[in-house]
Amino acid sequence: MQGQVGEVRKGELEARLADIKYMLHIFRKNALVMVGTAIALFFIVIALLANIIVDPKLAYPEGYPNNMYPFERKYMWNANHLIQWGTQVALYHGPEFFPLGTDGWGRDLFKMIILAIPVDLYNAAIITVTAAVFGTLLGAIAGYVGGKIDELIMRVTDVFFAFPSLVLALVFAAMFGRTLETLRLAIMLVWWPTYARLMRGQVLSEKEKLYVEALRALGVGHIRILLRHIIPNAIYPILVQATMDLGGVVLTFSALMFLGFSPSPALPELGNLAADGYAHVFDAPWVIIFPGLTMLVMSLAFNLVGDGLRDVLDPRLRR
Amino acid sequence: MKLYEYVIRRLITLIFVLFVVSFIVFYLARGFPSAISPWAPYIHPKMTTEQIEQVIKEHGFDKPLTEQYFYWIRDILRGDWGLTGTWANGRPANEVFFRHFPYTVELAIFGTIITIAIGIPLGIVSAIKNNRLPDHICRVIALAGYSTPSYWFGFILQLIFFFYFSLWGLPHLPSSGASDLEVTKITGIPILDGLLTGNLAFVQDEFLHLILPSFSLAFISLGFLARIVRASMLEVLRQDYIIMARSKGLKDRVVIYRHALKNALIPAVTLIGLFFASLLGGAMITEYVFSWPGVGQQALRAVMQGDSNFLLIYSFVFAIVVVSVNLVVDIIYAFLDPRIRYQ
Repeated sequence: MQGQVGEVRKGELEARLADIKYMLHIFRKNALVMVGTAIALFFIVIALLANIIVDPKLAYPEGYPNNMYPFERKYMWNANHLIQWGTQVALYHGPEFFPLGTDGWGRDLFKMIILAIPVDLYNAAIITVTAAVFGTLLGAIAGYVGGKIDELIMRVTDVFFAFPSLVLALVFAAMFGRTLETLRLAIMLVWWPTYARLMRGQVLSEKEKLYVEALRALGVGHIRILLRHIIPNAIYPILVQATMDLGGVVLTFSALMFLGFSPSPALPELGNLAADGYAHVFDAPWVIIFPGLTMLVMSLAFNLVGDGLRDVLDPRLRR
Repeated sequence: MKLYEYVIRRLITLIFVLFVVSFIVFYLARGFPSAISPWAPYIHPKMTTEQIEQVIKEHGFDKPLTEQYFYWIRDILRGDWGLTGTWANGRPANEVFFRHFPYTVELAIFGTIITIAIGIPLGIVSAIKNNRLPDHICRVIALAGYSTPSYWFGFILQLIFFFYFSLWGLPHLPSSGASDLEVTKITGIPILDGLLTGNLAFVQDEFLHLILPSFSLAFISLGFLARIVRASMLEVLRQDYIIMARSKGLKDRVVIYRHALKNALIPAVTLIGLFFASLLGGAMITEYVFSWPGVGQQALRAVMQGDSNFLLIYSFVFAIVVVSVNLVVDIIYAFLDPRIRYQ
């Protein structure tokens, strides 16, 4: 008996592996998606190595003598640089070379951007995963149990959809203090309802299928049916949504930072770096341009991967 | 179910949503320590201690939060939405809101028009040239649209079309704010007033001010629209009646524009409705970047100042807008597709 169960498990595993192999095959055929995957991987590698490539102490004044930035080169651009912005910018004639200029404290913007990538990716990943897990579970329960609980959970998501999500996040962050934890919680709070609705729809169609009836006839418990059978079969749209959301969450996170909800103005985070250039758009345009451009490329990469995943997982779009 | 029954059911949902939204904002905004005490807008330095206590008692600020909520509801039913903080000179919250709302409406309408004008053709081209070069280009434009940080894109537009264009001596667009010119108020929406009073100089100036912010808004949302139109167009083009139309020998153009398009646009209607609703809530970041005098920017200031009264009227109106736009979209849906019945 035990051996049989093991064999069934093994067969299931093989089937899933074959499925994944087939998907990878389709995935590879799309050049655009492969470019997106490569860029996304590149950013992940940078994020993992950032603190080795650049000394993280460079970002904060505490790393310098007297706890102050020692620089006399605020908002400056190298005089001998390939790109020239025009006559309105302050030029730097010193010995060092700053590929992307310096920011409002005289820090090297290029190094700050490298330090910012892990901060953005890490926070976006945490927010997306918690929102997806929370939303998926609630949605699955709503769809499976039905009745009053379903009604209640769906009305709650209604409220969240009828709410200016950025305002809710802002109010939440403003009231609970400007720490990274509150910011993460604030964004998670406005992000989970999408997953709940998506999962509920999936579960509703999945629970009518024959295999669920068969499991019930075998006397398998509800929790086991839901967690072990229904959710794994209905998870693909959630994965696609989560990949695409990673790009969106990273934008929202940095936008909140840009609007002034950063725990510290020195924090190397892409939105925070761009906010530094708010009043200097015309005399130091690079302070906004390059952090924003990094954000754009990063978000685009994840959206390309998500878009490709959707094409792979949605047979109607395969052709 | 009849249409009016459906509408009534949705209106009941609206009341529920409004109740919960106000509850959440009220507790978030009043329940936590904030820089200004909620009665601060009501008092001025010349008041005596007794008068201040009178104000606190009148609005129930000395009661526990659960009771304060009902005092607040009572004040609203009397038409008193409370006063704003010093950031808006302590004027009544509803007055501040409705003074800035027309600007947001104007921006939302322009943003939606540009979204439709670019997004739908982009989606159609993508579907017709499925998986060929035009489709890939459209895909990149669409994805770039919703991967773009809105705060960044606004500045890039300002930098190019205002700053560098003026530096190079080209005709340039205004960088920020709305038109400074005077216009007689009729409807409250500036550009419409300009048209109605025949003040063409104002209309032109306001239009120029609107181009950059509304394009900045549209660029971010048109990608979604293009993708949805593409997906539904692909689905429609595969249906029997399209194959039938083709086999009758109709030209491609006729098949696509006369037969496929109307059905393919049905899902797009929902999306356009949602965009419009969310833009009416004030595209906070875009308004902030372009110093556009709409409600989103005011809400941002209110958040920074911990001004609960303004945030409450703001989220109230926003919730009403979202729910009613959804209702209108559902009705249009049934009109476009007679197979859909209300349930």
